[in-house]
Formats: sequence, C-alpha cells, structure tokens
Amino acid sequence: MRGTMPESSPPASPALEVSRAGDYFVGRFRAMASPCEVLLDLDDREEGLELAAIARDEAWRIERKFSRYLAGNIVHEINHSAARAVTVDDETARLIDYAAECWESSEGRFDITSGVLRRVWTFDGSSHVPSDDEVRDALAHVGWSRVTWTPPVIRLPAGMEIDLGGIGKEYAVDRAATLLAGRARCAFLVNFGGDLFASGARRENRAWGVGLDDPARSGESVLGKFDLTAGALATSGDARRYVMHQGKRLGHILDPRTGWPVADAPRSVTVLGRSCLEAGTLATLAILHGPSAAEFLEREGVRHWVL
Amino acid sequence: MRVQLDSTPRPAFVRSRLRAAACVLLAAGVPAAARADDAAPKYQLDASGLLYGEQGRANVVEPVAKLTRLFDNGASLGGQFTLDVITGASPTGARPTTSIQTITNASGTSSTVQANQLPVTAFHDRRMAGDIDWTQPVGALFNATSSAHASVEKDYSSLGAGETFSLDTFHRLITWSLGGSYSHDLVFPVGGTPVGLTAGGAFTGVARNPKDVTSVMAGVSRILSRQWMVALNATSIYERGYLTEPYKVVSILDPVSQNPTSFLTENRPTRRSRYNITASSVYHLTPDVLYASYRYYWDDWQLGSHTLDLRFRHELGNDSFLQPHFRFYTQSAAKFFTLGLIQGAPLPDFASSDQRLSHFNSVTLGLTYGFKPHGYPGEWTIRAEYIAQFQKVNLGPTEGTDGAPVQTAPDAFPLLNIGTLTAGYSLSF
Amino acid sequence: MTRDVRAAALALALAALASGCAASAVKPWDRDLLAQKKMRFIPLPMEHAVDEHVYFSKEGSTGGMDLAGGGCGCN
Repeated sequence: MRGTMPESSPPASPALEVSRAGDYFVGRFRAMASPCEVLLDLDDREEGLELAAIARDEAWRIERKFSRYLAGNIVHEINHSAARAVTVDDETARLIDYAAECWESSEGRFDITSGVLRRVWTFDGSSHVPSDDEVRDALAHVGWSRVTWTPPVIRLPAGMEIDLGGIGKEYAVDRAATLLAGRARCAFLVNFGGDLFASGARRENRAWGVGLDDPARSGESVLGKFDLTAGALATSGDARRYVMHQGKRLGHILDPRTGWPVADAPRSVTVLGRSCLEAGTLATLAILHGPSAAEFLEREGVRHWVL
Repeated sequence: MRVQLDSTPRPAFVRSRLRAAACVLLAAGVPAAARADDAAPKYQLDASGLLYGEQGRANVVEPVAKLTRLFDNGASLGGQFTLDVITGASPTGARPTTSIQTITNASGTSSTVQANQLPVTAFHDRRMAGDIDWTQPVGALFNATSSAHASVEKDYSSLGAGETFSLDTFHRLITWSLGGSYSHDLVFPVGGTPVGLTAGGAFTGVARNPKDVTSVMAGVSRILSRQWMVALNATSIYERGYLTEPYKVVSILDPVSQNPTSFLTENRPTRRSRYNITASSVYHLTPDVLYASYRYYWDDWQLGSHTLDLRFRHELGNDSFLQPHFRFYTQSAAKFFTLGLIQGAPLPDFASSDQRLSHFNSVTLGLTYGFKPHGYPGEWTIRAEYIAQFQKVNLGPTEGTDGAPVQTAPDAFPLLNIGTLTAGYSLSF
Repeated sequence: MTRDVRAAALALALAALASGCAASAVKPWDRDLLAQKKMRFIPLPMEHAVDEHVYFSKEGSTGGMDLAGGGCGCN
C-alpha cells in the first residue's frame, strides 16, 4: 500500500505562512505529515492568505476525517467495529466506492485493506524482512473481497482494517482545487507532499515549472522539469522507505496478494492526469505492475516518467 | 483503401474507469480547468518511400504520406496520398526465340530483342492515389470504419468505397469482423482497346472499358493468452468487366521448331471469382514477437496459391529492433495460361502468357531495422528485401516429329530477381 | 482441395476459434503485452501496404489480412 499517513501531531505554528516568490504567492503549511504548498498567481496578499487558508482547511478536514491514526473519526470507527456493520456518510461512501473501483481495475493489487501488512514490514532501510509465517498470518486479514460493502453500510471481518492513505492525499488535492476554483480568479497550483494540481496558465500565458525529483538523491536534485499549465502530477515510489534484502532494494509498496513488496518495481513513477486522483492512482497501479509499469502507462495513454 | 481488421484491446481502459469513478467521488465534477492536459496524441503522420527494382526491368519509386487525426472518443480520420512512378520494361508475354524478333504492341512503341532473351517493352507511367478512412466507435465494443479511394494513371483509373464493422465479445477476447467494398475501375489502353486473340491492328472501338470489383470479408480474431492472438479471415472478390492485359501477347509457335512465328493479343474472361482464407498468429516472446500467417487462395480461373509468411521482431533495446522476414509463395497456373499456341490448332476462347498467371515459386528474404533516434521525435524503419521468382515447370527439350530432340527451348521465365528498399517514418503529435 | 473439404476446414477452424472462452479468459489487467503497438496482425501498416502492392503486381493472388483496395492496372 502506498503513502500512508503516519502519526501527525496537531499542526505546529506557523499554521499558515504566505510569502511572495517573484510575481506570485506561496502559502505553506503542514498536513498529512507532508509539507504542503499553494501557489497563487496574484498580487493581493490578503486574497492570497484567504485562498491558501481555504486549501489548508480542506486538507486538515480530510485528514481529521479519514486518517487512521486519529481516534474518533469514521475510519477509526470502522477499524474498531469488531465485525459489526457501520453506516457511513455520503463522502466516505464515495471514497470507498472509488477504492473499490481501484481494487477491481487492478484485479486486487490495489487494496485498502492491506494496511495491516505494515505490522510485519518496517521500511526503515534496514535488512529486516518478516518470515513467511508472519506474512501469512498478516495476509489472513487482507482482502477487499472479504469485506461486505453495500453502500452506505460496510462490514469488516474481525482483525481487518481499512486505510485510505493511498488515495487520501490525492483526494485532498482535488477537493482543495475544487474549492479554490470556485473562489479564485487567478491561476493556482496545489501541492500536497508532491501530489499536485494546476488550474491553468498563469498570467502572460506562462506555465508552472515542476521539477521531477531524482529518486536516487531525493530532495537534493531533480531529474528534469515539466511545464504544467493545467492538470495533475502525482508520484509514487520508494525514495524514502525501503528495506534491503539480499542486496536488493525493495520499495514499500506491497502486493496484497503475496504480502511482499512488488518485485522489480521502478524506483519512481510520475503520471500526468486530469485529476490528482487519476494521476496518483495510475502511478500506484503502475508500480504494482512492477517491470511492466511503463507498458501499462503507455497503454493508458498518459504522459508518464518511469525511473 | 486500407481497412485493418484488428483486435487490440481498447487503450486507456483503466484510465477511463478511474476517471469516471473520480468524477463521481468529486461530486462537483473534476476540479477546475480540466483542459487539454492529456498526453494522448491528436495526430499521426506516417510516411514511406519505396525503391523497387527488377533485373533490367521495371523500376518503381513510390512515396506515400498519410495523416490521421485522432479524436478523444476513439474515432479517427485519415487521409493518404500515394505516388507511383514506374519506369523500365515489362515482358510482353511473347516467347523468347532463337532468332531475332520484333513486335509492335498496342502502346505504339516497338521493341526489339536479341535471341533467347525475354521480349519486353519499355514503358513509363505515373500513378497517383488518394485514400480516406474514417473510424467511428459505437459504444465500447463496436467499431465502424468507412473508406474511400481514388487513383489514376496513364491507362487506368479507379474509384471505390468500403465499410467494415467489428464487434468485441467475451470481454474483448473474440473480435468479429465483417466488411465489404466496391470499386469501379476504368481501363483505357493507350492507342485503343485491342480485340482479343487477333494479330494486332484490330481495335474494339471502346476507349474506356469498365471493371467492377466487389469484395466481402469476414474474420474472427481471438486472444488465446496474455502473449498470443490468432485470427482467421475469409475473403471473396468478384471481378466483372475488362480483365485482359491490353499490351500483352501470346505467341503462335511453329509446330516443329517451337519458335514463335507470330503473335496474337491475349484474351481473358470477363468474370473472375477469387477467394482466400488467411490464418494469422502473433506471439509475444517477451520482448520479441513472432508473426506468422498462411494464406490459401483459389479462383475460378483455376489459379491457386499457398503463401507462408514469417517475421520475427527481435528487440535490440533502446527502442530499436531487427526484423528478419521470410516468405514462401507457390502458385499454380490459370487454366488458360499458355506458353504459346501451336500454329494451325483451333484458337481457344481465352489465352494469356502473362507470367503472373503461370506456375511459379517465389521466395522472399528481408530484413527491417527499426529505431527511434534519441532526442528526435518519431520512429523510423528501413527495410531491404530480396524476392526471387522461379518457375516450377521444367521447360526442357521437346521432341521433334522425327523423334530427335529439338533445340532446347529457351527458358520462358528466367529467374526473376527483385530488390526493394523501403524507408518508413511515423510520428504521433 | 475440393470445395467440400475447404468448407469443412473453414467451419472447423471457425468453431475452434469461437469456442470455450471463459476458462482461459485474459483479464484486463493482463493485457499489458497485448496492448503494445507491435502486438497487431499488421504492426507496420505502411510496410504492409508496400508488400501488398508489390506482391499484387507480381503474382496472381490477392488479399489476405485486410480488405485491400485501390485498383491499379497491375494484376
């Protein structure tokens, strides 16, 4: 499973920092354990503050509602339901529907119930890998087909959990962009931890320059630049979380059918899509294809970078 | 008209499902400004050039360019232009002789040949052709392709249209195809239309001879596994009208010496029903691919053939490949094919010495090299092929009336060597 | 081949092609290879058109994998 939302403490100050960068504004904050920023192509600082706050509030709202680490939200309720049926609200139902569609399209490789595998896998760069027994025991509680989902009622067998971390961040980007589109008169770009969406061309028909992170030197250098005017870019990869096993680097994206990381997966996959959900899901599905990641994306007809 | 019957799975399969699901999830629809950000190409340009040469005979230069517009819904509209420039010499059908012979043919030029060489006549022609095709998907499983064609050359013109339908069934594992086409051609021989089986100089007075061609094709293709797909196609073609080669002749042979003494224009029936069944296979050997096909052909002129075609695409890495090609073709002659008519024997209704209607085998050896230059757009292919056509029937010495063997007849059809060089370029943008 | 044998062979081949699918169904996920441009019966259409024209001009047969059209005075 990809991109879980690890422990996040209440946002530390500054809760929102808006600064000028050249001829546009950047609003920065933390959400979903990632650095988030909103780029706004305008000159009015007050308006910039207002728009950035809208994006930040939506990110926090989604994190509070769907993070599996926070007690009291719907996901917590589902994961502690002890095999009882839980009725969910409309937004949660649609998110689960989307996850179910991903599961079906990927023939079971994309599975929001695979989060329990994190108990046996710690991707800390060490060479610790679980035993076959440990993996088998964990797999007994993995499998969307075991879940009874008749919207809006969901029932998980005992011991199973759902984790929406794989689609939560992309959903947040798209939701923030939707809200901003209703309010902003300027071009904007929403970037939550590397998953981003741009609304259109900047003034004077310029594009946003997006750098593609070098997975070998993540955070330090870029492999290329892409001029983005409208659309979403999402990246899936193992840059920071991996284990070493028999001299080979295994990424943190697990195949829920085997309980092991995807074999021969590319280090990093970036996809250009119409929405962040589409781009992010395709990037994750590409990694789940392992060595045929590029062929898969080629067939889907999306612009992509496989590294 | 180029109408492909294909069974490739629909592209963007997962993406379209995700897009629909994301739309529902985001309720208010896709976030703002969902404009043209997709990487799916809108145009495709294909160009090719052919250099064709036969030993001492016809040489052809043929550039072709095609531009296709691709639409979001899977529809496409393509236009293609072809130019054929043919120069050189074509065999007349007359038998080679042990003495010099000269003939005058319908195109008004005379040809002189040396003994024992195949009589040929020089010609120069230029053909231009235009094709249009429009593909429209209807729903997720059904495709309709319409096409039209027009071509013109010095003595021939053609106008035609066709339609093909294809339907995917069983989760797109099996694709059914059905197509038809009709073409109305005109043959207007230079100098007039000669009357068949006459000694030349007699013309029918018809300047433009019509020829109608109707085709029907049915096919089914099936995906057998993740790596393998096969197909079976059956085609029927009906030709009506002027099917004779106006410039070709049939020799009248002296009964004793077998030498040609005079010539008659050839004559073919005005109807022809042609059939073929083709089985094809494409097998992915990760990363190489093997293409194989076998065609069985027959018609009511009693011409029949078998064709075996094998290609092996070997990936070299860096988006380049080498593809060797082997083709074997064997043909049995049309019922009215003759090397020459014996003088004094009654004239048949139809006769032709066109070697394309004779018994022969043909072997092709070719090699294609495909590559995508780094940093430059588009894909290139370069192909060199060698085709050898050789007769199946041994035209050895025949006996004279006194039992003594006569002079060995010169080979009616010597080994024909053909070389082709094709360059191709393809660009999506 | 006689007419009857030909018809029977064709019918048999069609039946074989159209039968028994569900068991060996290739799921959408497994169509990565099949979706490659080279996995087509005519992977290089321009090259194929050249071939069709060359062999149509030099041989007595015609057609095969597609509805070849476009008359020329060469067969």
